[in-house]
Amino acid sequence: MDFPNPSYVHIIPGDVNRSDLGLSPEEYLRLASGVDEIIHCASDTSFSEQKRDQVKKANVENLHHLLGFAAKSNCFCFHHISTAYVAGKRRGPCPEAPAETFEYFNVYEETKHRAEKTAANFCRQHGIQLNIYRPSVVYGHSRTGRTLRFNALYYPVKTLLFLKNLYYEDTLHKSGKNAKKMGITFDENGRAHLPIRIETVPESGINLIPVDYFTDAFSAVMQTQKNGGIYHLVSDKNTSIAELIDYSQRYFNISGMQAVCPENMHPGSKNHLELLFERCIKTYKPYMKDERIFENHSTRGVLNTHKISCPEFDYPMFARCMQYALAVNWGNN
Amino acid sequence: MKPLEHITEEIRSMSSRCRHYAMCKIDFLETGLCPPAKETPYVSFFPQGRMDICDALARGLIPVTKTLVEIISSCTLCGRCDKQCHFVTGMRPMAVMQALKAFVAAFEKDGGKIKIIPEDETLDALKHITGSKWATNDPAHLVTYSNDPFPLAKRQMPGYVVLPGSADELVEIVRYADQLDIPVMVRGNGGSVFGFVFTHGIVIDVNRMKHIELDHENWTAIIEPGVTSFELQKAVTEHGFRVNTAEPAATVCGNIVCTGLFSTWANAYGVGADHFVDMTFTDLHGEIFRLNDKNAPNAFGFEEAVLPSPGICTSARIRMHPVTDDEAGVLVPFTSLEQAVSFARDLSIRRIGLSVGILGGHYLSTFISPTAFLAEKTGNVFSDILDIRYMVCVIGDRYARQAIRQMVSCVIAADTFKMLMLGLPRLTGPEWMDIVKGLESDRPAYETVFSQEMLPVLETLLSPAPETLAGAVDEDLREFYTDLYSRPHMTDMVWLNMFRIVSARMSRHKHMFAFLVYVPLDRMDVIHKILASLEKIAQQHGIDHDFGFLTPLDFGKRGILEYDYYIDHTDSRESDKIRLAMADLEPLMDRLSAAHKGVKWLKYIFSQGCARKENFLYT
Repeated sequence: MDFPNPSYVHIIPGDVNRSDLGLSPEEYLRLASGVDEIIHCASDTSFSEQKRDQVKKANVENLHHLLGFAAKSNCFCFHHISTAYVAGKRRGPCPEAPAETFEYFNVYEETKHRAEKTAANFCRQHGIQLNIYRPSVVYGHSRTGRTLRFNALYYPVKTLLFLKNLYYEDTLHKSGKNAKKMGITFDENGRAHLPIRIETVPESGINLIPVDYFTDAFSAVMQTQKNGGIYHLVSDKNTSIAELIDYSQRYFNISGMQAVCPENMHPGSKNHLELLFERCIKTYKPYMKDERIFENHSTRGVLNTHKISCPEFDYPMFARCMQYALAVNWGNN
Repeated sequence: MKPLEHITEEIRSMSSRCRHYAMCKIDFLETGLCPPAKETPYVSFFPQGRMDICDALARGLIPVTKTLVEIISSCTLCGRCDKQCHFVTGMRPMAVMQALKAFVAAFEKDGGKIKIIPEDETLDALKHITGSKWATNDPAHLVTYSNDPFPLAKRQMPGYVVLPGSADELVEIVRYADQLDIPVMVRGNGGSVFGFVFTHGIVIDVNRMKHIELDHENWTAIIEPGVTSFELQKAVTEHGFRVNTAEPAATVCGNIVCTGLFSTWANAYGVGADHFVDMTFTDLHGEIFRLNDKNAPNAFGFEEAVLPSPGICTSARIRMHPVTDDEAGVLVPFTSLEQAVSFARDLSIRRIGLSVGILGGHYLSTFISPTAFLAEKTGNVFSDILDIRYMVCVIGDRYARQAIRQMVSCVIAADTFKMLMLGLPRLTGPEWMDIVKGLESDRPAYETVFSQEMLPVLETLLSPAPETLAGAVDEDLREFYTDLYSRPHMTDMVWLNMFRIVSARMSRHKHMFAFLVYVPLDRMDVIHKILASLEKIAQQHGIDHDFGFLTPLDFGKRGILEYDYYIDHTDSRESDKIRLAMADLEPLMDRLSAAHKGVKWLKYIFSQGCARKENFLYT
């Protein structure tokens, strides 16, 4: 987010893990007395059931600490960053309304849903307006590709590239026996043939938004909407798995991958590479067959006024993101 | 250059860091023993002794004698000590040997004066018993029997060291000493780490008494007291048997008498009196008795007190166990100790598997890593990325392994273990780690990494080969390590568990101070309480510490737990820490012992190792 004048910004380090936010009583009171709006964007985005306690603590319990602070302050509007995926396991339209669901694909969805309910109840009781922002899958900056995290969209692509490079080395410097066993071959141009079919559903796809769209959209809604509401910060168009496969193959010089319908993917017919890839991206599998459609009537109304629209996730965009990812070695540089 | 200037502080410091595990006294890498020590097996002729001599010379503790020059000059600089010691501790003692030789050369060139050590009547008498070569009062020999890394014991120079060649000679020495009221201390292979084997009198070193006789029909081996675990295991393995042995360099008799001898095989083979059919002793007056003699002192009984040993063991008839040709090892990873204990106990109750041991993730990584650097990296990957906090290592036949596969969701089989071991330097590659970290699975990462689907990737990634593993060590040792790890047994879990040549690596970082407690295996609360107490005391005193291992015993009713403190035994401040910690620990362990049935600290079993296990496990 670009601040008009950085001197207006005061950074006060705190700790949302603590009920006192890691502030001294004096600091806490001083801060509370000067606050009129709060943006809560701290979150744990892990999907792992193993990390349930950690995720629950970050997404639900720590929210209480912020809400408690809000109640003791002059805050009139609490801006809560959630996720479009609080919709849980469902198909079709997901309205910009409290989600009515009890089934989730993972602990992240579940805890973010619980957090929304917690925030709604609390703010209602304390007369605080609550804005809930629900972004879909966020990727890098639309113009630079810059991002700080390389999960979600990036992880399956990174895994593909890892496998390609691993077996390229095997073919180039060793006998290539292991690559052959996996059905992986390389042509004279170094193009890798990775025979991987990925199960997907027609009309399904992943809703992807760039981080700059997210911040712009959030900023526009936040500055104009102070009466409480739920806003889907999403793209109007889902990106299909077939498109993502196409982009990945073009950019990384790969062939052999295809998106297939479940009825064309018999369980016993999966080759070793498919089983392996499936195991690696198991966490993301539900999103590859995602049939949730996020409505965004409320948000679009605001964004149209500000002439903000979500850039399309096309091949140049994908290439920009991957170029950045490679340049920073997936965040390791 | 003055003679002592050849022993720089760096050299002296290295020599003082010898852990005294006596691994250089067994041929565990098939390099052959230090050639002069093979001929003259005083500790002083082994690399361990030479390290002590170097430190003592630099500190001015010993004069230059004819024997000292003889010992130092006998070194052929063959480099075997470098290979053996590096394998265990990461140290390169060749530099010490070179410095010692340079010292002698400079001493002789300078016309240095050699001190004559006068002989006395006692020495004459001892030489009369053993032959002149095998008794000495020369400080160069004595100093190598005067200390060990035990931080609470002070150096004590013996008056004499004698190496009897037979039980008769040993008994004669004891009788002679008894007549003149000279204290006697028997010493096994010199793998002493508890400060128990020192005296100002006579040290009897049994290293010449190494006879082994197998009785195939009775499945027993009759051994002399100088036989080490490694040597006995090797001898019986050649005839298709196995014995339950512990530290490879420790003598079998000494280990039984002192501790009751425990290892992960204790799950099937027991401890204490389970190990032997009979043992022969001489008491400190030279009276001989067999434990099977009804009139003999009752060494099978147990008393909760610190007692002396029944005497000096002169021979033992050790039980041998059958081996089937389908035995192999498996590792079963767990994220918590509760899960690991529950599984290990289940195996023991159901009589599945022979050797069963719960190891900490860092324990295993240290065992399989040829360098400390790699061990640390691997340990962190195991615990932080693969979610392996504990590993149950099981040796069993094919039926046992089939059962285990049905009991748990992830098993690291023998071939995967081999792959892991030979490709270890590549396990920690950043790109691969990135992929594993991103798995975000609902199950521990190890389940995915060691799944059938992932094994081909692991194989490609790790490029398992002796050369790959050897790439982790110093360049000049790579050829040796490549050759070493080309031998199948070096990556065979069964062999490694039987011969335990990698367990001494636990002390690579610092000397290990092990606390051993028998515990009720069904009382996880008690086990936790003991572990938490040991951890808390270590933290209070700033001592490095870690879980060691836990092995079920007697069909899962009991277990033996090892928790380790790590100290730099050359640093007096660390000794002080242990001293203070012991003051906290002793009453605590006594309280826990009194409060919970089945909790028994090894301190009270020391020297009562011939007791029936039932007499200390269930009292």
